[in-house]
Amino acid sequence: MKVEFWGQEFQVNMVVGCIGGFLIAIVSSMFGFGGGPFMVPLMTVALRLPMYLVVGSSLLAIFFNTTVSTMRHYQFGNFDLIFFLAMFPAALLGGYIAPQIAKRVSPLVVKRVACVGLTLLAGNLLGLY
Amino acid sequence: MKRRLRILPWLGLAMAMFLGGQWVQAAETGDATAAPTAQVDTATPGSAAPTIQIDTTTLNNGGSLKVTGKAPAGKPVYIEVWADGHDVRSSRFDSDVDKETKKRPYIFYLTAEMPAYYKILVPKDLQSKLDEAKKEGSKWSYSALLKDLGADIAYSVPAGIAIERYQSGLMASVVGSRGKLLPAMDEKESKKRSMQLVKARFRSIGRVIGASVEVQPDGSYAATLKIAKGSAPGQYKVVAVVDKKVKSEPAVFENKISFPTVYMDNAGTSMNLIYPFILSLCVAIFGVLMGAGGGFIMNPLLLTLFPVLPHTVVAGTVTPTVLFSQGSGIYNYSKIKFINWKLGAGIGCAMLLGGFIGPKLTEMVTLEQYKFAFGWILIVLAGLMFWQTTPGYLEKNKKEQAILKEFKKRAEEAAKGK
Repeated sequence: MKVEFWGQEFQVNMVVGCIGGFLIAIVSSMFGFGGGPFMVPLMTVALRLPMYLVVGSSLLAIFFNTTVSTMRHYQFGNFDLIFFLAMFPAALLGGYIAPQIAKRVSPLVVKRVACVGLTLLAGNLLGLY
Repeated sequence: MKRRLRILPWLGLAMAMFLGGQWVQAAETGDATAAPTAQVDTATPGSAAPTIQIDTTTLNNGGSLKVTGKAPAGKPVYIEVWADGHDVRSSRFDSDVDKETKKRPYIFYLTAEMPAYYKILVPKDLQSKLDEAKKEGSKWSYSALLKDLGADIAYSVPAGIAIERYQSGLMASVVGSRGKLLPAMDEKESKKRSMQLVKARFRSIGRVIGASVEVQPDGSYAATLKIAKGSAPGQYKVVAVVDKKVKSEPAVFENKISFPTVYMDNAGTSMNLIYPFILSLCVAIFGVLMGAGGGFIMNPLLLTLFPVLPHTVVAGTVTPTVLFSQGSGIYNYSKIKFINWKLGAGIGCAMLLGGFIGPKLTEMVTLEQYKFAFGWILIVLAGLMFWQTTPGYLEKNKKEQAILKEFKKRAEEAAKGK
C-alpha cells in the first residue's frame, strides 16, 4: 500500500502491519494497556517508516483498538465506574503536568529509570520475590 | 486479654439465659420474627439449633466483632458469614483435563451472585490443618479443604447462586463470544462449581476460611470475626452451624463506610479514592515522560498494591482511562494534520479485531496466568526501553527526532497559516 505524507510517498507492507497490529491488539486489550510502545517499534523497525509518520498514525491505530476493547470490557462487566472516576481526573491532570516536567528531565534518564522499574515490576508479577 | 476471652462466653451465656431470645432479637433488628424460633430450639438440647449473639451491630470500614452463643455440647461449631446486600461476579474457565474422559472440557462458568464477602470460621484446633493447606500455595482446592475441615456442612449461601455455563471452543474464542449457553446444572453439580467460583473470586485461603471458634465442653462457643478494611459495606449475616440443617438464625450487622472511602460495585471492594487518584497521577506523569501510556505501569501496580481487585476489573477500568489520553493526543496531532489517516485506519482495522478478542481472554485466564504473562510483557518492554538507551539507537534517534521536529514545525506553521 502506498501512503503519502507531507509530500513524500512511502511503501507500506500492510500484511506485516496488520498481522503485527492484530497480535499487539489482542495482547494490549487483554491486559488493559494502550500498546503504543510496541506499536511504534513495529512501524519503525518492521515497516521501516520514519518516526514523524509513525507518532500520529500509530496513535490512531491503537485508538481503534482501545475503543473496541473498552466496549468489550464494559459489555463483560469489567468496568467499574467509581474506580474509573477516581483515576480519570488524575490521568488528565498528569497529562497536563507531564509536559512541563519533560523539559527539565533528560529522556535518557527517564528511560533508564523505567527500564529498572519495569524489570522490578515484572519480577514481582512473576513471583520472583 | 486471655482471661477476658474466657470470661466473655460465660458472660454471654448468662445474659442469654436471662434474656432468652431478646438478645437474638436485638441483634437482628431486620428479622424480628425469627427470634422466637431460636428460643424454642434452645429448649431441646441435642438436635437443637445453636444460638448466636454478636457484640456489635455496626462496624466502620471493617473491624472485629465477637460472636458468642450456645450449641449442643460436644459438637464442633462452624460460623458462616456473608455480605447480604452486595453480590459480585466470579468466573472460571475450566480447561483442566477431566479425570474420566481425559478430555479438556473448555467450559466457562460465570455467576453474578457471589456474595461480596464470604467466610467460614472453623474451630480453633483446626488451625494446623489450615496452615498445612496454605503451604500448597495457589493450588489449593476449596472443596477438598472444606471437607477436610468438616466445614462443608456450613457451606450454604454460595451453593444456591445461579451459575451460567458456556461451552467454549476455538471458534467461539476467535469471534470473542462466551460460547454456547449450556442447560442449567443440577443442585449437586451447581454446588461443586460454586466452590470453584468461590476460590476463583477470593483466591487465598485466609479470605474464605479462618480458625477462630473456641468451643467449650458444654457447647458454648466464642469466636472473633475480623472484617478486613475495604470489605463491602451494608448488611452482613452471621450464622452458627453444627450440622447440615442445624443452624442458628442469622445475626445481622452492618459495615459502614464513609467518603472518601467508596464501595466499587464491580470490584466488590471499598477503597479510599485518594489512593488510586494519587497513583494514577504519578503513573500518568511518568507514562508521558517515558513515552508509554500509563496502562503498562498502572495495571501491575494496581495488582500489586491492591490485591483485592480482580484483574478483569483492573484491565477493564484502566483501558478507558488510556482511551481519553489517546483521544486528546489524536486531536492535537490532527489539528496540525500530523496523522496519516489511511495508514492509521488501515492498521487500526486489524487492531479492531484484536481488541474484540482480547477482553474475552482476560476473563478466561486466572490471576496467576495473567500475572505470569504480564510479567513477560513487562520484561519485553523493559528490553525495548533498554534498546532505546543504547548508543546505536540514540544516534539514529537523534536524526529521526530532528526530522520529526522539522516536520512538526512545518505542520504547525501550515495549520496556523490557514
